[in-house]
Amino acid sequence: MAEQAEDQEQEVSSGAAREPVMDVPGGGAVPENPADEDEGSGAEVGEFSASGKSVEVGNFRIFLDLRMPEFDMGSCKAYSADNLRRDEGNAFAVVTDPVVPTRQNHITFLSGMHMAGQIDLLDSAIAYWPPFGRNTMILFYEKPGGGRVVVGDTKKPTIDEHDIATVVVEPLMGVLHAFGDKGITHRNVRASNLFFADPLRQKVVLGDCASTPPGFAQPLVYETAARMSADAAGRGVGTIADDLYALGMTLAELGIGHRPLSKLNDQEIMDLKLSKGSFQAIASQEKLPLVLIEPVRGLLCDDPAERWGFNELNAWLDGRRTKPVQSNTEKRAARSQNISGRDYYTVRSLAQGMAKNWVSSLAPLRDGTVEVWLRRGLGDNDRAKALADAMRQLQWAGADKRAAEDILVARAIVIMDHDGPIRFKGFAAMVDGLGYMLSYDVQHGRGPQRFADVIVRDIPSYWFGRQEGYSSEVQKLQQVYKNLRYYIQQQSAGYGYERCLYALVRNQHCLSQLVEQEYVVEISQLLPALEKAAESASEDSWPVDRHIAAFIAERLEDDIEGQLLAMQNPSDEVEYSRAIISMLAIVQWRHGPDNLQNLSHWVARLMEPAIKVFHSKARRERVETEIPKLAKRGNLVELYNLINDEQERRKDQSEFVEAVAEYSEAESEVFDLESSGPARLELAEKVGQQAAAFASTMIALLTVSALFLMHIF
Amino acid sequence: MAKGKSSKGRSAFSGLSVVASAVLLFIVALPTFVTLVVGLLPSMVAFIFDRSPGRTMARCVFGMNFSGVAPYILELWQVPSQTVGGATQQIFQPMALSIMYGAAGLGWLLYLAMPPIVANVLNLSAQRRVGELRKKQRALIKTWGDSLIKEVDRSGN
Repeated sequence: MAEQAEDQEQEVSSGAAREPVMDVPGGGAVPENPADEDEGSGAEVGEFSASGKSVEVGNFRIFLDLRMPEFDMGSCKAYSADNLRRDEGNAFAVVTDPVVPTRQNHITFLSGMHMAGQIDLLDSAIAYWPPFGRNTMILFYEKPGGGRVVVGDTKKPTIDEHDIATVVVEPLMGVLHAFGDKGITHRNVRASNLFFADPLRQKVVLGDCASTPPGFAQPLVYETAARMSADAAGRGVGTIADDLYALGMTLAELGIGHRPLSKLNDQEIMDLKLSKGSFQAIASQEKLPLVLIEPVRGLLCDDPAERWGFNELNAWLDGRRTKPVQSNTEKRAARSQNISGRDYYTVRSLAQGMAKNWVSSLAPLRDGTVEVWLRRGLGDNDRAKALADAMRQLQWAGADKRAAEDILVARAIVIMDHDGPIRFKGFAAMVDGLGYMLSYDVQHGRGPQRFADVIVRDIPSYWFGRQEGYSSEVQKLQQVYKNLRYYIQQQSAGYGYERCLYALVRNQHCLSQLVEQEYVVEISQLLPALEKAAESASEDSWPVDRHIAAFIAERLEDDIEGQLLAMQNPSDEVEYSRAIISMLAIVQWRHGPDNLQNLSHWVARLMEPAIKVFHSKARRERVETEIPKLAKRGNLVELYNLINDEQERRKDQSEFVEAVAEYSEAESEVFDLESSGPARLELAEKVGQQAAAFASTMIALLTVSALFLMHIF
Repeated sequence: MAKGKSSKGRSAFSGLSVVASAVLLFIVALPTFVTLVVGLLPSMVAFIFDRSPGRTMARCVFGMNFSGVAPYILELWQVPSQTVGGATQQIFQPMALSIMYGAAGLGWLLYLAMPPIVANVLNLSAQRRVGELRKKQRALIKTWGDSLIKEVDRSGN
């Protein structure tokens, strides 16, 4: 991996690397302007139109030709749906993009639960979606009574600024409270994801938050200064403070009637927010209503510790005054630091500049310009010292100079912006968003190399080292990261980036080519999917590949390290096949189903090497006769037990050892007999002579005795 | 070394005792002595020329030679008055010499013929054993298949 990293393209400042490869209907690409897509996706109705076609999924009927673009979530499209069990109420279905993972915790938490301020998630199901030609996750929501809060780019606010507190802030605070109590974050709080709960438009509800990775569908302006520089898929789970920031931006959008800074592109928004601070950036470009200035300033504070929380919001709702917050806490240097012809005044903007100009940022780091700028221009001795230490480590680097230089740039970025994402040669993801980023990269043609480089270079460890104070979230992330390093360093099946993927993203479906179309998220879905794949499986393919091994290792409650160990050596066919059969048998034993005829026949075909576990021909013949019978019954456990009868195996083994000894003994005796001709002749001569002497002596004795006897008688 | 010394000592003692016996026999029974000297002449030659350990050839020749001489010694002893002349007359008869020396020759032939016979017996026995062992190995392969050979080869390497 490390070597491959060296070959990676150095130039990452161009946007070309960020373009995803669209490989399925629905895409999964991050919309350039998510809210714009929300507002103008009606043209796509014809794409899936099938004149009156409908699909029944569980208790719902989805109408393929009745698109509901106002409920779209990024690349996930919404369709009208009927609840077949209930007469009243309307439902809609959000068909998730199969190449973008959903959020398991949120689906579990929100399913079947009514929460004021949050759209009701009625049910979720994995089902075949005809336009995609494959299975995907479908989320069924109760259609809110009122329409969408933000409709098009009207200049006029849809909610009176004086009503925003009761109509918007109160219900949203309730939602964020409930999410906070559960230890999860919404990360989809924005004006375009708000709907009126009732026709009278007295309360709003927040829309879907489970169909895409956290923050994936958020416009850049809704992301905090720390998270906005990450790729959309890697923005991370975040904390409730990130939701509160998004709430502040929502209030700003509702107050001014359009999305703040909508005239600027993402880069300009980022530059503006980094140079002025979030609130000042908005306030300088937009005219905020007076009544909303205080909460927007408090909620858009760039320092999470200073940012308004629930107490301050409650105080504001009650009409009390709250502590004033500094709108921009970022320290500005007296003089600039230049990278690639651009001047930077703050550490965070410099970090972003370095990430964008990876190659050219090395020179000012190596010649100490940045260190001097930190010490003298910014008066930040702590960062300057950390940078000096990082540069000293570069001098200790061995032959791999280029890798060491990349590590220096990545570390310098972390030093500049320790709250920000990990950035490494075009890769930019928060530590809590590494999994979603990996998933996105793998499913959009970029592959796992960028993620592997980051892990192999151990950049997250440095990021953890730069975190100040104790944080349980950081501790948890650190623990997870330790495992990732181990997984990525292992080359065999069941480890590698695949294991990292399933360990990090709970709702990641199995990406094995055998079952990918089936959208296998839970371990219990795996064997039915393999059963289906077995119908058309090629003769020599194995039912467990790297993805399936990693998926089982991560999702199965039982420890299968032994089986993974045996799979490390595919040339040992006996152990390899036994490990695979054992793994599948455990899954069937734990999660069923009881009858897997096709898979059993597939496994039976591959059991030939496993039969070799027995040495005795008679035993093998018995097993070979039994296999088709058991395969017909579709029980993998029985098949496995057939080749794994420990008592029989031990007996076979000990008898075999005896037979080998016996054969070897016979062979060596034969060799001795065949090679001892001259020695035998020598022996024969000696023995023959002695025998002749003996016989001669005996004859003499007999003659004398006979003569004496004759003389006597 | 001690063993060598003792066997040398024993051999010297044995030689001395033969000489002493011969001297005693010469004094006490000269006709018998003459008969033995003439009759056992091949054995004496054999003892002189056979330097092999254990002197098996000499022993072979002596055993058969003595069997040929013994009847004439007994015949001599049956005569009441033993004289050197009578003894000489008896032993120098062609028949007697033929029997005595022929018997010695038979002893020599026995010495020559026995080793090939023993070698053939040993070879036949070895062939029979090889056959048995091969049969056993075939039975093992039938029971355990090729894996047995592979395992044997593997452990052999």
